[in-house]
Order: sequence, then structure tokens, then C-alpha cells
Amino acid sequence: MRREIVAVGVSHHSAPIEVREQLAITDGALDASLRELLTLPHVEEGVILSTCNRVEVTAASSRGDAAIDDLVRFLARAEHVDREQVVRHMSLFRGRDAVRHLFRVAASLDSMVVGEPQILGQLKESYERAVASGSAGTVLHRCFHKSFSVAKRVRTETGIASRAVSISSAAVELTCKIFDSLEDKTALLIGAGTMSELAARHLLARGIRSLIVTNRTYDRAVELAREFRSTPVPFAEIERYLPMADIIIGSTAADGFVLTVPMVEQLLQQRLNRPVFLIDMSVPRNFDPRINDLDDVYLYDVDDLSGVAESNRDEREREAEKAEAIIVDEVEGFCRWLDGLDVVPTIVALREKAEAIRRREAERTLAALGGLDERERRAVEAMSTAIVNKLLHEPIVRLKRNGGKDDPLYIAAARGLFGIDEEKDS
Amino acid sequence: MSSLFLAAALALYLLSVMTYGAQLISPRPALRRIGLGVMAGAFAMHAAALTLRAGSLGYESLFPLQESLSLIACIVVGLFLAISVRTDLSVVGTLVSPIAFLFSLSAYLFETRAGEQATGLHSVWLPAHVAPAFIGYAIFTVAFCLSITYLVQERQLKRRRRSDLFRRLPSLETLDRLNYRFISWGFALFTIGLITGSLLAKETWGSLWSWEPVQVWSTGTWLLYAVLVQARSLGWRGRRAALITVLAFGLLLGSFLTVSLLFPGKHGGPVGP
Repeated sequence: MRREIVAVGVSHHSAPIEVREQLAITDGALDASLRELLTLPHVEEGVILSTCNRVEVTAASSRGDAAIDDLVRFLARAEHVDREQVVRHMSLFRGRDAVRHLFRVAASLDSMVVGEPQILGQLKESYERAVASGSAGTVLHRCFHKSFSVAKRVRTETGIASRAVSISSAAVELTCKIFDSLEDKTALLIGAGTMSELAARHLLARGIRSLIVTNRTYDRAVELAREFRSTPVPFAEIERYLPMADIIIGSTAADGFVLTVPMVEQLLQQRLNRPVFLIDMSVPRNFDPRINDLDDVYLYDVDDLSGVAESNRDEREREAEKAEAIIVDEVEGFCRWLDGLDVVPTIVALREKAEAIRRREAERTLAALGGLDERERRAVEAMSTAIVNKLLHEPIVRLKRNGGKDDPLYIAAARGLFGIDEEKDS
Repeated sequence: MSSLFLAAALALYLLSVMTYGAQLISPRPALRRIGLGVMAGAFAMHAAALTLRAGSLGYESLFPLQESLSLIACIVVGLFLAISVRTDLSVVGTLVSPIAFLFSLSAYLFETRAGEQATGLHSVWLPAHVAPAFIGYAIFTVAFCLSITYLVQERQLKRRRRSDLFRRLPSLETLDRLNYRFISWGFALFTIGLITGSLLAKETWGSLWSWEPVQVWSTGTWLLYAVLVQARSLGWRGRRAALITVLAFGLLLGSFLTVSLLFPGKHGGPVGP
């Protein structure tokens, strides 16, 4: 049976942050989720991508429609999830569309801030985790590797990345609307996510006076602090440091709020209402959204930052069009490979290739010998045909027997060994 | 002659109202330069008009209500131009320009004739009272505009909207810092004005304090500013500080306009003291 790629999930396009945070799969829970994914009846391979902006499963299956049902149920399985709401916000992709979607995600065309570079790293990590858990197989291996090379091609051939404004730099941009300069400001980093690290780098580049880092695991805070030449503080003592910070960035994987309304009320009192900028980089959110109702606190979560990040939009969109053309091209190539990953077309291609070689070699031999009569010529032809058929017999029988069953690896291997796809590509 | 310059100033103020209005919509940097240029031209005309008037009719001719509004407007514009050189305060300009226009319009429409002007007071305390009080008022007016801008910017940040207006607004900290500086200077001058005013009162009315409406109201306003400056000097910032600046300015305007018009008292209404 031929495998099909499906992609199911929620992203910032389809779902608000309230829905995304219900589905988010924390780093610690990822391996278990990947294993669970493989127990679904119609899912043969799967990769889970869970970032602030999206929670998506890309899977390969012989029965696409059934796999989509499985995955929707899988994503909405947790107790606290409002199933109806989640299903309403899910986006589903099948076949060619799913491949295209994955490529677009990798190339950062589907990002909240088009062209931001973080997504590719996150995608690679998701894929590696899936490989380590054994949930990625032949089809997804090729599909993901292809997506990485597509991303690279988009990056080098279009100007999309150069105009990229990441969420984190957008956040730092906003600080300029609150603060005059950062030279007398202090930032507090709670948690050590990729986004917050980037934000810290931006803040340092803008000359922030001091940076305080805290993390649930103190060692990690120390490690980060060394990297940024900042001060690590224990997570338990966070409340002592809150009033010092003009900018507080949250990116912990915590369930529940790290910063609550009473905490912020208190810190504002201690600060005599000097404005404080809260940046919540994490999904599920770290800071209680109601904090924004307090005076002199400006709270932005990842969704809010996207609006800020949308400068230079037109120019980026033109580049995005170029990128989309590259993607269409690459999706074509991949789908041709995937379509061929079936027994019949593989056998046909194998026979065609062998026949072409045989005919070429036979003609060359006949030309070299010269002056053969009709009977002799037929004997040479017959011999070459016999060799080819005998040589192909076993592989074809085995392909018919094994290739159709469960693993496209057999077919992929045969195509690889006989160089079928290379021929087509060139 | 002076009314000719005033008319020119008025026309230029009207033009600057329009250019600053246009800056809210279009972010073109040329508009900012034009706005500043027009405003500077208006300021020059206005200052010339006031100087000519004071020169021909005596400086007391600037003290009746309409004339003093015009004088204060001129100082406000001067202050605004001075701070605009370093910071892009176009949005503040959209507030300053109509204030300048309306205040000087009142002087133009209800120009007091020489015969109606203030007479009778010739104390040395008079300029010592009026000059700091007027400059103080002007400074508080600019502080008011800065606070309004702060509140607008604050709203934009809270709503997480990103309009062209938002991009043009200076940072909260800049607005707050300027505001604090203005409030402090304004308060210092206002205090001097109150003290010299009391001395003036002692000299002309015989007592430092006479429960006269302007005196009472001004002292109330002074107390509110005193609290604000004190709180701010301790480091208190933010939205409520801006709101109180607006409120205090409201009181100030009340003491200046309403009391002068409704309860003329001894202090001086539209016509003489």
C-alpha cells in the first residue's frame, strides 16, 4: 500500500493562544507522546512539532483519512482539553498539501513572523527526537530531510530571511516605546527557552545594564548566566528580584502562572509605579493575562508580538512569492518520489531501466561484431534479455511479496540500489 | 501694528494645526520639518506682536485675561520649540498648536483697548508676581500636553495596537522624564508667583491673605502640584502621575479662567483689577 503524508494540528493561523496552550506538548512529555503516536492504529510514522506558535503532527499512513481521525483524537486526548473548540481550530492537510505545508513551515513561510529563523531549528529538533524514539520512518526521513534542504534553498535564493524580524527582536523593539534607553535598565529572564535567549541577546546588543537569569534548575541558570555574563538567582527567590526588573521575560515550560496578579501588584507598589514591560514568550503562558489590566504594566504574549513584528511586510511578501514558487517545485519532486514508492511503478521503472540498458549494450555489441546473420543477431538479443530477466527475477518477486505489506523501506531500498530516482532527477 | 503681527501669527498657528494634524496620518519626515518651521515662524510673529504691544502700551497692557492668554501661548510655543529640537514630539505639537491658536485668537478677537487696561497697580511686586506666574502657567500647559501624550501612548501600548500614530509617539520614559522636569520648574515658578503675589496683596490690600477667589483656588492648585512634585521626587511614576498632571492643569485653568470671569473679585477680571 502506498503511504500518504498527513499533517494535523493547530497553529497561530488556525487557533488563538488559548487553544494552542491546551494542546502544547512539553519537552518532558514529548518522547512519551511520540511512542503513543505509534500505537495509533493508522499511523505508521509520525513527528510532533510543538512550539509557541504551533502544535502539529506530521504522519505517514497508508490510510490518510483514518489517520487524520486518529491524530485529531490523539491531539485532543488530554483531560483539560475542550475538545469541540480544539477540533474547530484544527487544520488538516493531506497528501501534496501536507508536504507543501511542512516545506512552508520549514522555510518559515508559515511563521508568525515570516522569515524568522528559529522555526527550522525547532523543526530539526522535533525530527531528531522522533528519530530517536523510532517514530520517523522511510517516508518521513525523506520528507523532513527534503524540508530542511528546501528551507536552505529558500534562504539562499530569496531575501526572505534578511528581512526577518523575529518575535524576540520585535519584543525588544517594543521596549523602545516604553523606555528611553536600556543603559540604566535591568531585565529578568525567567526560564531558558530559545526565544528568551534570543531576546536576551537582543537586549544585550542594545546595551542593557544588567541581566538577571533564573530557572527552575539552578544549574541551567548558572550556565545561561555565564553565557550572557549575567547574574543567576535561585528560582525560589524570584519575588525578591521582581521589583528590580524593568523588563521581565518569561519562557518556562511551567503549567500554571509564574507571575500572578497579586505578585505584580506588589512589585508595582515597590517600584512606585515605574512602568514594567512583561514579555511572555511561552505557550502555555507564564504570566496571567489579567496582569495587563493593572496600570503601568505592559504585558505582551507571542500573539501580541506578532502584530508588532509585521513591519516591512510588503517587501517580505514579494520575497515570499518567490519562495512559494520554490516550494511548489520541491513538492512536485517529493511527490513524484512518494508516488513511485509503490510496488507496481517501482517494478515498471526497474524493468524500463533494465530494458534500456540491455538494448543499448546489445546494439553496441552487434555493431562491434558486424556481419552477423539474422539468427546470430537474435541469439545475442535473446542472451541479453535472458540475463536481464534472470537478474531481475528475484528482486521483482521479493518486491511483490514484501513491498506491498508494511514497510516502504523495501521499495525505497530497491529504488535506491538500482538508482531509479537518480535517473529521473537528472 | 502689533495686531498685524498677531494676525500673521494666527494664520501660521492655523497652518501648524493643519501640518501637525497631517503628521498624525502621514509619517513623512518632511512634514515634521515643515511643522517645526511653521511653528517657529508663528512664534516669531507672535513674539513680535507682544513686544510691540508692550513697547507702545506698557507691559501692564499684557495682563488682562485675553492678553495674558496670548502671552502664555507664546511662551508655551517657545518651550515646545526648545524641546522639539532634540526629541521628535510631533504628537505633542498636535496638542500645542491648537492651544496656541485658540489662546491667541481670544486676544485678537477681544483686543483690549488702551483705555480699558489695567491701571492702579504700580508696585515693584507686580512684575515679580506676574512674570513667574505666567511662565509657570506656560510650563504647566506643556506638562499637560506631555501627560496627554503619555496617556495616549499608554493606551496604545495597553491595547497592543500598532498604528502610524503609535510609531510616531516618543517612549513613555521620555514623556515622563520631560513631564517631571516641566512640573518641577513650573512648580518652582508657581511658588515664587504665589509668594510675590502675597507680598503684592499685602502692599495693595493690606494683608497677605484675603480669601479672595483666585488666591484660594491658586493655593489649592499649588497644593496639588506640591503633592505631585513631592511624590515624583520620591520616584513615583506612571499613568496616575500623568492623570494627576492633567487634573492639576484643569484646576489651574479653572483658577485662571472661571474664577477671573465668574468671580472677578479684586484680582482682576477681564477689565482691570
